[in-house]
Amino acid sequence: EDALLPVPQNISILSINMKHFLTWSPVIIPGEMARYSVEFQGEYEREYANESWIPICECSLITATVCNITEDISATVAYNLRVRTAVGARRSKWGTLKGFFNRITTSLTPPLMKVIADGYHLLVELEDMGPAFQFCVLYWKKGQESRMQQKVVKEVGSVVHLDTMEAGPDYCVKAQTYVESINRSSSFSQTQCVRAQGGRSVWL
Amino acid sequence: SVAEIRSGFTAIKANIQARDPIRTLSILSYPHSLHKVKSSDRCCITHHLFNFYVDKVFKHCKTEDLYVNRKISSIANSFLSVRRRLQQCHEQNQCMCGQESTEKFNQILANYERLNVTSAAMKSLGELDILLNWMEKSP
Repeated sequence: EDALLPVPQNISILSINMKHFLTWSPVIIPGEMARYSVEFQGEYEREYANESWIPICECSLITATVCNITEDISATVAYNLRVRTAVGARRSKWGTLKGFFNRITTSLTPPLMKVIADGYHLLVELEDMGPAFQFCVLYWKKGQESRMQQKVVKEVGSVVHLDTMEAGPDYCVKAQTYVESINRSSSFSQTQCVRAQGGRSVWL
Repeated sequence: SVAEIRSGFTAIKANIQARDPIRTLSILSYPHSLHKVKSSDRCCITHHLFNFYVDKVFKHCKTEDLYVNRKISSIANSFLSVRRRLQQCHEQNQCMCGQESTEKFNQILANYERLNVTSAAMKSLGELDILLNWMEKSP
C-alpha cells in the first residue's frame, strides 16, 4: 500500500550565499495531510559508510515543502538528497534530487553596503552574511581609478574605516564577497560615492 | 575547511569525550606529543592522519544520537575535502615522508590498535582538537 503514496516531485535546491534549501512540489492526497521527511548523504557516506543516509530531524514529518539543509551541507563535497511522503504510518518511496549538490555552486550576490563620510573619515558598513564570508572593498578618489586601493575585511562587526579624505573630491567605494571554503567571489556591488565637507556627512 | 571541522567538533566534543572511559591512554599524544614534529614532516603526518581518520576512525563512531551522527558526517565530509588538497601536495612531491614521521605515525597506529576498534575510534575522535590545534600552530 506504501507504493500508492506519491513520491514528491520537482525536487530541487535553492542555494544563495551559502544558505541551502531543498524544495519540492506538494503532494496532494484528498482528505489527508501529507507530511515529508528529508535525508542527506555526503561523499563520505557514499564512499566509506556503505552509502548510508542521514535523516535531518528538523525536516522529519514536516508539512512544509522546503527544508533548510545549510547546517548539514558543511563540506565542499558532493551531496545526495532525498525526500519522501508520509501519511500516518504510510510512506512513499524516496524521491531523490537529480544529480549531486555541491555548495561550490551556490549563488553569491554582491554585499549590501553603506558608505559614510563622517567628517573627513571614509567609512563603510557591510552586511553580516555569516562566518563563511569575507569582503574585498575597493575605494578610490573619483577620476583616479588607476590609484584604486583595496581592503580585505575578514570579520564584519562594526563600521570599517577606509581612509581619511581630503575636502573637495568625491570618494567612491565598491565591495564584493569572498568565500574561502569554496574559493569564489561575488560580483561587485554598485559603486557609492561620498564627499567630505567639514563635519557633515554628505551623500551623493 | 579546518575552521568548519573545528566548529563541527566543538558542537559534539563533550558528548564524544564522555564516551571515552579510558583516560590514561592517548592515541595522538603517547609517548611523544605531535608538537615534536619537524616542520619538514608536518605535511606527511597531516596527510597520514587525515587518511587514518577517514579510513579507520569515522566509520566506527556511529552513535544513537542523530545530532551527533550529523556532526560526525559533517566532520568526515570536511576531512575528505581537506584531504583532497593534501593529496595534491602529495602528488606534487611537496609532502615528503621522512623516517621520523613514518615512525611517529606508526606509533599512533600502535596506540590505536591497542584498544578495541570502537573505543579506539571514539578516543581518536575525542582527540580531534589535539590534531586541529597542532595543525593550526605554525611550525
